[in-house]
Amino acid sequence: MPLVQETDYGTPASTSTEVVGLTIDGIRVTVPAGTSIMRAAMEAGIQVPKLCATDSVEAFGSCRLCLVEIAGRTGTPASCTTPVAAGMVVSTQTERLKQVRKGVMELYISDHPLDCLTCAANGDCELQDMAGAVGLRDVRYGYAGENHLAEAKDESNPYFTFDPSKCIVCSRCVRACEEVQGTFALTIQGRGFDSKVSAGMAESFIESECVSCGACVQACPTATLMEKTVIEIGLPEHSVVTTCAYCGVGCNFKAEMRGEEVVRMVPAKDGKANHGHSCVKGRFAWGYANHRERILKPMMRERIDQPWREVSWDEAIGRVASEFKRLQLTHGVRSIGGITSSRCTNEETYLVQKLVRGGFGNNNIDTCARVCHSPTGYGLKATFGTSAGTQDFDSVEHADVVIVIGANPTDAHPVFASRLKKRLRQGARLIVIDPRRIDLVRTPHVEAAHHLALRPGTNAAILNALAHTIVTEGLADEAFIRERCDLSAFAHWAAFVSEPQNSPEAVGPVTGVSPDEIRAAARLFATGGNGAIYYGLGVTEHSQGSTVVMAIANLAMVTGNIGRPGVGVNPLRGQNNVQGSCDMGSFPHEFSGYRHVSDDGVRATFEELWGRPLDAEPGLRIVNMFDAALDGSFKGLYVQGEDILQSDPNTHHVAAALAAMECIVVQDLFLNETSRYAHVFLPGSTFLEKDGTFTNAERRINRVRRVMAPRNGMADWEVTLAIGKAMGFEMPYAHPAEVMDEIARLTPSFAGVSYDLLDRVGSVQWPCNAAAPVGTPVMHAESFQRGKGNFMITEYVATDEKVGPRFPLLLTTGRVLTQYNVGAQTRRTANVVWHEEDVLEIHPHDAEERGVRDGDWVKLDSRTGGTTLRARVTDRVAPGVVYTTFHHPVTQANVVTSEHSDWATNCPEYKVTAVQVAPSNGPSDWQREYGEHGRKNLRIAAVVAE
Amino acid sequence: MEAAKLVMMANQIGKFFAAQRGADPVAAIADHLDKFWEPRMRTEIVAHVAAGGAGLDEPVRAAVGRLREARLPGTGMRV
Amino acid sequence: MTTRIFVPRDAAARAVGADRVAEALQAEVDRRQLDVTLVRTGSRGLFWLEPMIEVETSAGRVAYGPVKASDVPGLVEAGLSQGVAHPLRVGRPEEIPFLQRQTRVTFARCGVVDPLSLHDYRAHGGYRGLARARDLGPAGTIEEVTASGLRGRGGAGFPAGIKWKTAADAAADRKYVVCNADEGDSGTYADRMLMEGDPFSVIEGMTIAGYAVGAAKGYIYIRSEYPDAIRTMERAVAVARAAGCLNGFDLEIRVGAGAYVCGEETALLESIEGRRGQVRPKPPLPAHKGLFGCPTVINNLVTLSTVPAILADGAKAYAVLGMGRSRGTMPIQIAGNVRHGGLFEAPFGLTLGEIVDEIGGGTRNGRPIRAVQVGGPLGAYFPRALFDTPFDYEAYAARDGLIGHGGVVVFDDSVDMARQARFALEFCGIESCGKCTPCRIGSVRGVETIDRIIDGDRRDANLALIEDLCQTLKFGSLCALGGFTPYPVMSAIRHFPEDFGRPRHAVA
Repeated sequence: MPLVQETDYGTPASTSTEVVGLTIDGIRVTVPAGTSIMRAAMEAGIQVPKLCATDSVEAFGSCRLCLVEIAGRTGTPASCTTPVAAGMVVSTQTERLKQVRKGVMELYISDHPLDCLTCAANGDCELQDMAGAVGLRDVRYGYAGENHLAEAKDESNPYFTFDPSKCIVCSRCVRACEEVQGTFALTIQGRGFDSKVSAGMAESFIESECVSCGACVQACPTATLMEKTVIEIGLPEHSVVTTCAYCGVGCNFKAEMRGEEVVRMVPAKDGKANHGHSCVKGRFAWGYANHRERILKPMMRERIDQPWREVSWDEAIGRVASEFKRLQLTHGVRSIGGITSSRCTNEETYLVQKLVRGGFGNNNIDTCARVCHSPTGYGLKATFGTSAGTQDFDSVEHADVVIVIGANPTDAHPVFASRLKKRLRQGARLIVIDPRRIDLVRTPHVEAAHHLALRPGTNAAILNALAHTIVTEGLADEAFIRERCDLSAFAHWAAFVSEPQNSPEAVGPVTGVSPDEIRAAARLFATGGNGAIYYGLGVTEHSQGSTVVMAIANLAMVTGNIGRPGVGVNPLRGQNNVQGSCDMGSFPHEFSGYRHVSDDGVRATFEELWGRPLDAEPGLRIVNMFDAALDGSFKGLYVQGEDILQSDPNTHHVAAALAAMECIVVQDLFLNETSRYAHVFLPGSTFLEKDGTFTNAERRINRVRRVMAPRNGMADWEVTLAIGKAMGFEMPYAHPAEVMDEIARLTPSFAGVSYDLLDRVGSVQWPCNAAAPVGTPVMHAESFQRGKGNFMITEYVATDEKVGPRFPLLLTTGRVLTQYNVGAQTRRTANVVWHEEDVLEIHPHDAEERGVRDGDWVKLDSRTGGTTLRARVTDRVAPGVVYTTFHHPVTQANVVTSEHSDWATNCPEYKVTAVQVAPSNGPSDWQREYGEHGRKNLRIAAVVAE
Repeated sequence: MEAAKLVMMANQIGKFFAAQRGADPVAAIADHLDKFWEPRMRTEIVAHVAAGGAGLDEPVRAAVGRLREARLPGTGMRV
Repeated sequence: MTTRIFVPRDAAARAVGADRVAEALQAEVDRRQLDVTLVRTGSRGLFWLEPMIEVETSAGRVAYGPVKASDVPGLVEAGLSQGVAHPLRVGRPEEIPFLQRQTRVTFARCGVVDPLSLHDYRAHGGYRGLARARDLGPAGTIEEVTASGLRGRGGAGFPAGIKWKTAADAAADRKYVVCNADEGDSGTYADRMLMEGDPFSVIEGMTIAGYAVGAAKGYIYIRSEYPDAIRTMERAVAVARAAGCLNGFDLEIRVGAGAYVCGEETALLESIEGRRGQVRPKPPLPAHKGLFGCPTVINNLVTLSTVPAILADGAKAYAVLGMGRSRGTMPIQIAGNVRHGGLFEAPFGLTLGEIVDEIGGGTRNGRPIRAVQVGGPLGAYFPRALFDTPFDYEAYAARDGLIGHGGVVVFDDSVDMARQARFALEFCGIESCGKCTPCRIGSVRGVETIDRIIDGDRRDANLALIEDLCQTLKFGSLCALGGFTPYPVMSAIRHFPEDFGRPRHAVA
């Protein structure tokens, strides 16, 4: 499609329902009350000249180009800051206005370089456009006066440059940083003619608080803040709207292209999850697609100690099919399986599970969502009836009290975090429940009302204590409960939480949180208006993950916070398509739409369409696959787009299981850690090379559109089809759109979804069917999906992972903003400048006791293993708690994590590991050995014959 | 598969359902194992109970006694 | 009986030695063991007589001035405490023509009372206004202020009653009253004199405003260059609070950081909120969405200080004074090269000629007056040809000028008006907050262009450019700093073309 030019209305839309009629340049215009004259004019097709106004930020009124005249009013008010009034008669072009505008432009240009022809923004510069629009022909002041033309360029940020000589001091960047991103990293320094944009306290961008979200670059009307790729390549000539492949926010981007080359990724204004905002990953960290380490040809080897050999697609696929068939003949139908990826599209995921169920003839299909949000599916299904979050992201704009539990949105879901912070700046109150002082606890102009810094592993205890306070203090929403919930379940639950062992006073010593603080937080949540709960893996990745999800659902129900905007239970999904991979039937016990494989009626519909008898028994989950592999009954695995060796817990155990298998097929972009144990490597393609859909954390089905052909020559979905065909299971589709048509046909909640619909309306949130033809933003509005809301008893059970004299500290893990999960992509971008290595956060008290200083190497040991990394001494973590990230394979945090897992779903307990920390002088033996093994795995012996 | 691990997992499940009120925990545990445990795992826990069921909590032991027999894969290939 | 001797401690008096005079007096009194109490007051505003001391006699107060410390022993020896004759004796102050001609409403107590004595304040009519306001009720109080015709004395001249009503009608849990005491205009000192000489009038005025609009908190924003005023105001607030005079209304003093533009009301609000002193666009009006987003009455200090008198004596008594739409009195501050510099409170309507020639007595050095700048650094320069202009908001506007905060600065015939025009643009550049383009860049380009004119470089073209720039500044600027800079510049060019290398007849 041609370059998408979005309309800039100058000021944000008014949300008023009242309308006002006025006349602008003789044209009658009707707009919502509170609309600016500028926007009203733009909606009538009248472009008022402007520079400091852009519709992503509030009007500022500084450039003085947008002045208008209003009948009956003196002066020349700015149209951006003046709201419409009924009956107003506005003129946007008068002799006086023309003169003033020309005068202003003459001043601007008297302090601006005259290098338009060689400027990176040539053709995409609002200053240039405005000079033309006002008819500036001459700068009578000359260019010899005082100016900023010699100001030095700041190129410190890896992705964009800041050239103050081109700055017109419109403050759009400063305002975008404040209003859109909420970081407040930029300011105007100095006064008068000396005013200039400054990052932090006159620092370079890289040294400042800037989080490289790109909002300032997006807002800049000139070449002052400019993507380095545009400077290098030039302006794009066409764009394709697609969806980011990083976190579960699901931002829409315009991939702006020159031929098959991506020039830049620009957040789409009409993206319903991001509304024109982005983060450093989606906006800038897409260069991994062209990274030299990307594998573009299929490879094989007989044994895992051999170098890789490049082969043809036919040979590779042939080997996969013959090996899998051999294994099934020798070891049984259930001896092989597959793993889908939350990174891949719905269509790809659907096809892999179809291959396993229909082609392999068993249900040994699991997804990496197993290790992150499987408890969400289980817990919300048990209480509400649907395995998904209840709201859309827009809902946060109506929230009055927000609980963030076990999530770190500013790092892991930055675009949602910006919207949350905006709401908090407007006055909503925040309760953070997290062992660590995440940024949201105190960030510019945002401060949590309560931070319940609990001991890792005690979520259930604290949630029960919150419920105890609400129930025993008479704060429950009885009307809601009476009308919407199962009363007998409620009575049992209310009796349970009211018991003394669930009181804040009893729970205080267990959680380490003061009872008064718990009670105050409970009262605030129950009485503070619309209450919304957002949670992440700090909830699910525990032995009580499913229990805690239910406890969250209970809390929402008891306070009546379900079924309307501003409330709800909102799982923040870690990856782009966690929701989708679950929806698509990637779990071993469920078909798409969360229907159990033992349901004969459901199975029959699949058997009929696929033409194969299907297994009625649940298959192995990932962790069970490893156990079965070590047992000798599970021999072959097809892993699409997940690095199980790096991301699953207890690395030694996973490695042993992988080593015990006979055929491991890895389909990925890079030779990942798992590929060390693989026999066949099938090159995958990036999201830029794909057609399909991702489903984000708000159940929103977003289109992913191919912006360039797959560099490896074959789309991922075609590879899965080829494996099926070679195994005698034909899946005939000409395009992913046809896969979606089949999903819609077989899945009631997707019945109305088609690419046609998505192209028409942008995106939809499931359920999307006859009852909800354009989707469902807020679920359970009238009644719960399961009928009555079901309160489940959520007894606190301490994890078996206990601290003791040998392992006295609790390790918990998380992410940083600039890196993503195992780092396969982000480590292959310039994002490494912000996070070169994983570090261990340790409280000064614990550090002192161990003689650990900031920056020291330390050894981190648990019952399962040990690794070394550098220490960061900080009071962000409480005494007794240490924290690290898992972005770098060299650290391999999962060497230490335990095999404990959620009781219902086997989601691993990543968030609690008993550890000891001691000073160290370098990497462990294991790390050295592992590093050597990794280097060997990179050997590629022969080149395929053409 | 390692019996000790299966026992630990089964007991975890048992604890949750034993805490629920107004429902039969044994039925709920059995239903959960039927729905989520692959036949190999069910077969082994049944065998473990047959061998004395060391370490299993009481309602779990009772639930294992009620497990369904696994159905064969639809393809009719050797299991 | 104890004799009271009054020595001003107004900063203007202190600048010419009032403290040394007071010390000398005290020493002399102590040495002679006289039954004399020294009272430090504000200033009467007759600056050529400062330090002017007054002694209380049975026939009323008698003034002496200007008194030097070295004069003190002689004065005491001569019988100062009896008010006897002396070369420095100027007689009963009320009979000094400069004071006699005045109508002191706002400044009635200034220079008379001990600024920090609530007793003095009450004895001279203080707190009668608040009492009457309470009788009238909030709505009645606002009606009274509206009926008085009181307009904003900061310069804009917006009717105070309408502002108050807008804030009163705005529904909100919290409202504020802000007193603008960021008096930055050249040649002005009315705010300072009131703060130093009659601070309780400010406090009472704000309390009345708070009562009328439903605000429980007030801020007084004082420029940092007024340390004496800050100290006196702080003490006065403490005294009033301790005496229970605030009655549920609380006051806080905030000190500026030296930016002229913070005298602009929205920039002032930004500054109180702890932000950069930058102008906010209006709407929203501060009365709707002002300090911390709440409805706010923000008035100049003189405006607020005048309110108690209006309430106490009734709107009618105030409204009968003045001319046209400019009702009541205005404290005119006469400064520059003038014989009788000082504060002259009078009903609107005096002509500029009366002010500078009769009241001011011409220049101090005796040279002819060439130009008078009225209304601060952004006011127009008036030539003698326009000295018939009456002191009135509309009359000045009609002659492309403004009365502003009432500052009048006199220049003799040695003034170079091209340099004055340059100064106006330079001032605009130095004080520009940098937010809007015309002011931020235009001020600098304006100075450069005037420099070319002064250098004789393409004079006509550059004069045309300056005129265009002034149009851009006037209609394009966000606030009055840029918007009013054309007043001094264009008035200098129009009325004094010869200083710009143009023959007089060349300009209409």
